[in-house]
Amino acid sequence: MEALIVSNILLWCLLIALAFAVMGLVRQIGVLHGRLAPAGALMVDKGVAVNEPAPQLTAADRSGRPVNIGYAGEKAQLLFFLSPTCPICKSLLPSIKSIAKEQAHRLDVLYVSDGDMDAQKTLIAEHKLEDATYVVSPEVGMTYQIGKLPYAALIDNAGVLRAKGLVNSREHLDSLFETEHLGSATLQQYLHNSQHAHGAHNH
Amino acid sequence: MQPDPIFVIAAALAVSVILASAATHKLRAPARFASQLEEYQLLPQALVRPVARVLPWIEAALAFALLVPAARQVAALAAAALLAGYALAIAINLWRGRRDIDCGCAGPQQAQPIRPVLLARNAVLVGLALVASLAPLSRGLGVFDGFVVIAASAVALLIYAAADGLMANSPRLLKLIGR
Repeated sequence: MEALIVSNILLWCLLIALAFAVMGLVRQIGVLHGRLAPAGALMVDKGVAVNEPAPQLTAADRSGRPVNIGYAGEKAQLLFFLSPTCPICKSLLPSIKSIAKEQAHRLDVLYVSDGDMDAQKTLIAEHKLEDATYVVSPEVGMTYQIGKLPYAALIDNAGVLRAKGLVNSREHLDSLFETEHLGSATLQQYLHNSQHAHGAHNH
Repeated sequence: MQPDPIFVIAAALAVSVILASAATHKLRAPARFASQLEEYQLLPQALVRPVARVLPWIEAALAFALLVPAARQVAALAAAALLAGYALAIAINLWRGRRDIDCGCAGPQQAQPIRPVLLARNAVLVGLALVASLAPLSRGLGVFDGFVVIAASAVALLIYAAADGLMANSPRLLKLIGR
């Protein structure tokens, strides 16, 4: 009898602890939902409009070969604007490289930088970018009106700018492809539109 | 058949805590509760303010009365009626097709639109209040019974809070996956 009572008390205590754990998990999910909503690459509202033809220009890459940017071609283009002096750009390079590798069949990744040539060389050696298309030209950044780094722009194979934004994490980068897929300028805009459509549907 | 007092007292304790927390939320932000009540569009404009002022006190009084053995039965029936009334208010607005109004069900962090699942939630609460209204078998209660009552109502409340949180999260999840 004594043993049963002890076991019963123990079970109640453990059940209470378990219920606390479940409630804690639910709260954490709620907090995550609160933080997740404004996800996606931040779009600074200037420069080329999304879903419009991208500006076309030709720049020379590191070894002097001409690189066409913004023209219709076989593959889509991802322009990644970086600078050797920007630490977040460097932290994003592994993600960019993995995206380039995963989507090599449909996507050309272009690294667009600006600034001191020696620093560029160190960066390229450090991150093994010797084989990548690496353009050092302030013109590209000026044409696309890039004010902040790291910035990325996605141009589809018809030469239309599909998504762009300030990218600070792998999630932001992925959001560019997501917005390309969904056909909205930014993920925020997509969420906003779908919210409206939802609201309208309910009235 | 009469139920064991443990069921009745634990149910009364759980309903009492739920009502008390609802009352404190409403008393802390009377303006918000008044606007929520107005959103439901069930009362004439002149009655909204007085009802918004009185309802939290009714909830608090019921919460207190549920803990007094002599008043428990009546208070539990009144609480069941109150909770059923809230469910009715939600049902009327769902039937009107006004799904986008704030439920005002839980605390300030858990604003959620009204949905049919909230009717199920209120049905569970009404059931709990009805259990509390039953006349229990009379038997002597020891310390261990007291422990079981408190533990059972604590678990019920925690699971209620978790379920409430899940219900508040689900519209946000739907929004996130773009439905």
